Amino acid sequence: MAEKNKGRLTKVLDYLKYDDPFSKGVSFCPGCGLELLLRFIPRVLGNDIIITGTPSCSAPVLLGQNKQSWHTLSYFGTLMTGAAANATGLVRYYKKAGIDNTVVCFNGDGTANDIGFGNLSGAAERNEPFIYICYDNEGYMNTGIQKSGTTPYGATTTTTPYGTVHKGKNLRRMNLGVKMAMNKIPYTATATLSDLEDLAKKLLKAKKAKERGFCFLHVFAPCPTGWGANPADTIEICRQAVKTNYFPLWEAENGKIRMTKTVKKPKPVSSYTKLMKKFNHMTDADLQILQDDVEYETCLLGGLSVLEAECQLPVSAQD
Amino acid sequence: MNTTAISSNIQVITGNAAAAIAAKLARPDVVAAYPITPQTEVIEQISSFHASGDMDCELITVEGENSAMNAVMAASLAGGRVFTASSSWGLVFMYDAVLATAGARAPVVMVNVNRETPGIIAVSSGQQDMISTRDAGWIFLIAENCQEIMDLVLQSYRLAEDYDIQLPVMVHYDGFFLSYLSEGVEIPEQETVDQFLSVLKSQPKRTVLRPGEKLGVGTHGILGGYMELRHKHVTAMERSKAKFDAIDQEFADIFGRTYGGQLEEYLTEDADMVLVGSGSMCGTIKSVIDEQREKGVRIGLVKIRMYRPFPHQALVKALKGKKAIGVVDRSLAFGFDGGPIYTELKAFETKLGGAKLVSFIDGIANTDITKTNVKQMIQMTADLADGKDVPEVTWVSYPKANKDKGEK
Repeated sequence: MAEKNKGRLTKVLDYLKYDDPFSKGVSFCPGCGLELLLRFIPRVLGNDIIITGTPSCSAPVLLGQNKQSWHTLSYFGTLMTGAAANATGLVRYYKKAGIDNTVVCFNGDGTANDIGFGNLSGAAERNEPFIYICYDNEGYMNTGIQKSGTTPYGATTTTTPYGTVHKGKNLRRMNLGVKMAMNKIPYTATATLSDLEDLAKKLLKAKKAKERGFCFLHVFAPCPTGWGANPADTIEICRQAVKTNYFPLWEAENGKIRMTKTVKKPKPVSSYTKLMKKFNHMTDADLQILQDDVEYETCLLGGLSVLEAECQLPVSAQD
Repeated sequence: MNTTAISSNIQVITGNAAAAIAAKLARPDVVAAYPITPQTEVIEQISSFHASGDMDCELITVEGENSAMNAVMAASLAGGRVFTASSSWGLVFMYDAVLATAGARAPVVMVNVNRETPGIIAVSSGQQDMISTRDAGWIFLIAENCQEIMDLVLQSYRLAEDYDIQLPVMVHYDGFFLSYLSEGVEIPEQETVDQFLSVLKSQPKRTVLRPGEKLGVGTHGILGGYMELRHKHVTAMERSKAKFDAIDQEFADIFGRTYGGQLEEYLTEDADMVLVGSGSMCGTIKSVIDEQREKGVRIGLVKIRMYRPFPHQALVKALKGKKAIGVVDRSLAFGFDGGPIYTELKAFETKLGGAKLVSFIDGIANTDITKTNVKQMIQMTADLADGKDVPEVTWVSYPKANKDKGEK
């Protein structure tokens, strides 16, 4: 058990109620955002959760492909196409059998936003009582750094390389969090590793809200290897993503969006992009496109939070 | 439910209704459902049972067949009894999960209403969907009529959830010909079904995925471990053959109906010639055999009820020493000269004691396998037995294919 520490910098320890179910040390990439996140979740939610995860970077971390990484959680390794449907099958059977459960469907952005979006959407429509966590590293990292639907404009990947004709991804990224919030599910939130108290609070809110149905957490999780960043900078990258509004922190109960961290004077997106190589080639004009997109998304989020405050979802649809 | 009562327990219902009622009688914990023609009526009926409180299951109306299979696989691995149904493209769309379900040894039961899957208008009967998924690692059973659909679904739970088997089972029946065919079906009492399935409760407890129990499922195979699991899968499939025969016997004791297990043999004992078929065509073949028998033609039928694992030992036993065998396929095997079941039978031709084999392709894309067609097949098989020159493959309803043979 973690000791309660009232010190100024250690308030987050108050949320770490449970032992780390993972063995120490993972022989995977240093500075991996996914691993830090995955170790954090059961320490807040408890060790009796069932994690389901797809073939991805999460699979070797979760499965102990390497003998240095192992854990004591119940785990279901699933297919990328059907992870949310697997979680649905589990929770429905536990409901029928009267077994208490917390099922955490833990997948990357390729599964959540792209190939597995259909069943994620279906689980949201049916309001299935489990927590879906997408760790967003903006690409297919375990497969060798290919672009996904959440890869940002301008970023180079192995399928959007820098060339004489095309210079990185020439499409904008999709906003997975907002997409999910618009389903009016009991709880949606974004989070990242620089704001662990915020993340812990949101995990606990999700655990409570899953009694009323589907919960979705969109967690920004840097990939130093894929992004060409210094492994020591992982948390700083998260911090800059928040401070530039590149990845704003908010939550939504039944679709009603509320900022959990307001950035009064957002920094230019370049203070985020300069921390990694995947944006190195971008000109000022290219960066301006990314900046405009960030501002558009921030504006949209602000607008939605105002509009949603005025709109009333029928009570019957909320539970 | 659209039924006409004949007596207290015989009703005129469709094949789809038989599947749905059988599923209800098996009392599944979780049913996942997505509609596709000609299976749709199965899930409509189950939804109706669920809405009226007659079926106490978790009904998940998913957004696609892939999710249907994923949901029932997970519920099954968690310890639940499950059911789903599909057809054709639906089966194809759930294919990755179909493979994963078999590899995870999840005892899922589903019905697949056979339908074609080519890119032209494919709302038509044919077994190509079954053939396309035959080596997924599932047990495949094939029903001939509406009563057998009902009985096979009930038997499937005994087979799938048997502690020595623990494999998914798919019950196939011909789309359109059986899915919408109404005929008298004896519907067993709930108590009788409960009694038949009660054996499963007294088995050793299988490993299940539960919160806090520290079990990993679907983990990455570690070389030798993978080989071991695959070998165990194959041997469990082999065990399922004798197990299915035994279940059929026990079913006969309780319900008074027997089919013979892996194969149903119809007048084969003294037959010189045998047709090998599966599914709804067998009813037509039997009626033609009855007529031919009156004329003194010694013809019989071997009906394949279990298609995976392929019942080759049982087939050798049933077919050995016959003069000629005509195999009727409702599907295609590309690159082989003959239908898929014919091709598989050819693999152990040497064990058949000199029996000659001939392939008939018929009934694909909703073409009827008529009595006239069956008569033609029997005539050709008789000619083969008499040593006459008979083409190896005949497209019975499409003579032009036979003329075109060899042309570019």
